[in-house]
Amino acid sequence: MAYFVDPNYQTKARKPDDFDEFWSDVVSQVERLDLDPEAVPDPLRSSDEFEVFQTFHTSIDNVRVASWYCVPRQREGPLPAVLVVPGYQSDPGIPREWARRGYAALSVAPRGKLRSNSQFNPGYPGLLTYGITDRNIYSYRGFYVDAWRAVDFLLSRDEVDGMRIGVTGSSQGGGLTLCTAAMRKEIVAAAAGCPYLTGYMDSIELTHTYPYEEINDYLRLHPESRELVEETLNYFDCINFADRIDCPIIVNIGLQDNVCPPETGYALYHCISSEDKRLYAYDGQGHSAGRHEHDAIVASFFDRHVKGEASND
Amino acid sequence: MTNAAFSTPDDFEHYWTAVAEELASTPASPEVEAIPMRETDFATLYGVRLSSIGPYRLYGYLSIPKGTGPFPAIYWAPKYQSVLEIIPQGTENGTRSRFVTFSLAGRGQRNSDQPFAAMFPGLLTVDIDSKDSYVFRGIVADAIRGLEFVSAVDEVDSSSIVAIGNDVALQAVALAGKASHLVSTPALFFDTLALAGRTESYPLEEVNDYLRLHSCRSEQVAETLSYFDLRNFAPSVKAETLLMAGPAGSALGPEALPELASSIPGGADVYASRQSSYKDGLHQERWVASKLGFDGPIVPAHWR
Repeated sequence: MAYFVDPNYQTKARKPDDFDEFWSDVVSQVERLDLDPEAVPDPLRSSDEFEVFQTFHTSIDNVRVASWYCVPRQREGPLPAVLVVPGYQSDPGIPREWARRGYAALSVAPRGKLRSNSQFNPGYPGLLTYGITDRNIYSYRGFYVDAWRAVDFLLSRDEVDGMRIGVTGSSQGGGLTLCTAAMRKEIVAAAAGCPYLTGYMDSIELTHTYPYEEINDYLRLHPESRELVEETLNYFDCINFADRIDCPIIVNIGLQDNVCPPETGYALYHCISSEDKRLYAYDGQGHSAGRHEHDAIVASFFDRHVKGEASND
Repeated sequence: MTNAAFSTPDDFEHYWTAVAEELASTPASPEVEAIPMRETDFATLYGVRLSSIGPYRLYGYLSIPKGTGPFPAIYWAPKYQSVLEIIPQGTENGTRSRFVTFSLAGRGQRNSDQPFAAMFPGLLTVDIDSKDSYVFRGIVADAIRGLEFVSAVDEVDSSSIVAIGNDVALQAVALAGKASHLVSTPALFFDTLALAGRTESYPLEEVNDYLRLHSCRSEQVAETLSYFDLRNFAPSVKAETLLMAGPAGSALGPEALPELASSIPGGADVYASRQSSYKDGLHQERWVASKLGFDGPIVPAHWR
């Protein structure tokens, strides 16, 4: 009998009572820091169509965070913008496709990624369990904030229309999309693919593949820490951010996803507060989650909700 | 689809013989250290340091099943990505109960990034205007060193070694032998200049970027790439091979690869991507299992 994915799967994630207080404190810490935005032209990656910059901004703990920033050369007036957030082990790409579509596009490399790893570099494997028994030192505390802070970089740019910013990514980028949409009210639309960092404690039982297997490795060596690990991860589980998402959002999952179990995608989707939400569940798809046909759906969704073009739907 | 004409450099054999000689004169000097964090009931994991030409110190992950060997082996050759994985993302960890596995970071990848840390994009064009200093001359040597290492591990059944990777896996198997089977996904070195001209996607877009800024070096770039074109390596591949093509109609789709496949003396199947990591991954897992005589692959729960 083929594996059955339960669309009504009940997650183990529990929102801590002081969840909002914890993140409010983290945000206030980073808001006290000067963003210090810097954009360095990259002629090698630029073309007649678009300019590419290597950019940097300061995030929590004074970590300098790099990004690729891409803008169309031909533009009139402020541009809509897209923040692209990366997967776990892939390196952030140069978001030229978004620039080609008329957006200012920023592809952020949170701490630990190449070009952002001189001050923090837990490695791969390693990032997922670094500091996992203490929410105040857990790797994703800074990693999440680095992504959220990238919105401030976009807001610092004269050519960006701060009222029209979207966020998108897949896998880890899907998780970052969710928490960014939850924590930054400037986000007007979000597209999350096969979200990782969503149902952590569910995933380590539903699948035995890396990267989630890093947590099983950790617990095998430190079984006494299980309670602390669960406690920490509840502050970072994107399911617990979902009730703060009120912008239009689409989520795609693969029903044969061997990396981010689709059960967690369903559980996440049910918790999203936004009334304008839609789930695309692709059968016959693994962690690719229907990307070959879903990319066009994301582009159309952003054209409608971020760029403000009339819908053909 | 007809492949563009290509030529084999007159000194192709000499070029790669020189690399082999340089490698042979560079002691591997392996250092193997257990990593308790990644040990399971069924396998032990080790970090391995090895030297390649330069000399350059490399890093890899070696997993050995518990129990009595010898075991078949899977060798994941250096990839075009910064991260070195123990086993590829999404691979069932139980795979380590059946196979000795070895994954190696080529120079520039994480864990093998001292003194050279590669950028992505960036790696494909490092010193591409000189065949003698081109970064992939070293990376192919690294891949050979890794294949030599895993084939000599005591617990490995040296008649059952599967090398998996992109172009570099094919190049290493062609030059070093050692592998009984090969799974290669061409991405970098098949008719590179022609395919780069038809894409705006990385990694091949790196070549376009480079030539846009350094158009005067196009001849040198073409010369360098001719030493790396898979069509010049295929006749030396004795391993039974699975070529993972892109989807039908794409630049590296199944239409592009029949000539490459037919020139592999070990025999080659060409698989056209169905644009699903599930369907493509399952095909590969089943191919490997069947070729090595297993009833079926060890796959993740959601693929069962």
